[in-house]
Amino acid sequence: MTKKIKLKISARLVKKRSRRAGSGRKVCRFCSDKEQIHSVDYKNATFLKGFLTERGKILPSRISGACARHQRAISQEIRKSRVMALLPYSGPAF
Amino acid sequence: MAKKYEALMLSMPEITSDEAKNLEMQLDKIVRAGKGTTVSFERWGKYRLAYDVNKNEYGVYFLMRFDVPKGTNLVQDLKTAFKVKFNNIVMRDMISVLDPKQPLTYQRPRSLEEAPAREEGFLKEGRSSAFFASADEREDIDVE
Repeated sequence: MTKKIKLKISARLVKKRSRRAGSGRKVCRFCSDKEQIHSVDYKNATFLKGFLTERGKILPSRISGACARHQRAISQEIRKSRVMALLPYSGPAF
Repeated sequence: MAKKYEALMLSMPEITSDEAKNLEMQLDKIVRAGKGTTVSFERWGKYRLAYDVNKNEYGVYFLMRFDVPKGTNLVQDLKTAFKVKFNNIVMRDMISVLDPKQPLTYQRPRSLEEAPAREEGFLKEGRSSAFFASADEREDIDVE
């Protein structure tokens, strides 16, 4: 039976912080490549589908990697697409 | 300076080509009455909708692009036309301004008519005989 080593409080906090830190800074793909922003269009449902979860929810920017400005554009176009029934509001997760 | 607009319309799946032509003509009439010009009128085709609209699972999309001169209420007239005149045919409509700097090309999802027909695959009558045959028979059958 291995004895469970109890770390000191300071060591535990450092470990917790390092666990929470992400895998490096993500760059917004729309900021780096100007051409991609033209794909963000409410008619382009196939492209926008990549920014939805399985249940049809809009992915947060910390997952999609978009900066605040482009995340707003993406969200707006997704919501327009939803009105036109090109994208679902919600769906069952398969 | 004329502003460029586009209107995406979702119509009933049972719309005939005559009705579509009629719709195009009537919309063109409204645009011309408002001193605008129709740039394009495209029929996207039949699509499976993401959710049921007016109890329809399928719908036909139309995209119309037009120029609007300054000082007219053309967009407002179109909106009322969609609400009143084309109430039975057009289920959803979205009128939006186009950025003049952006090119007119756009991407859209594939319609049901464009999607390639599913290949019959090996379960086609001629080819499946080898699959269902017993081990003894399999040696004799030529697989095409």
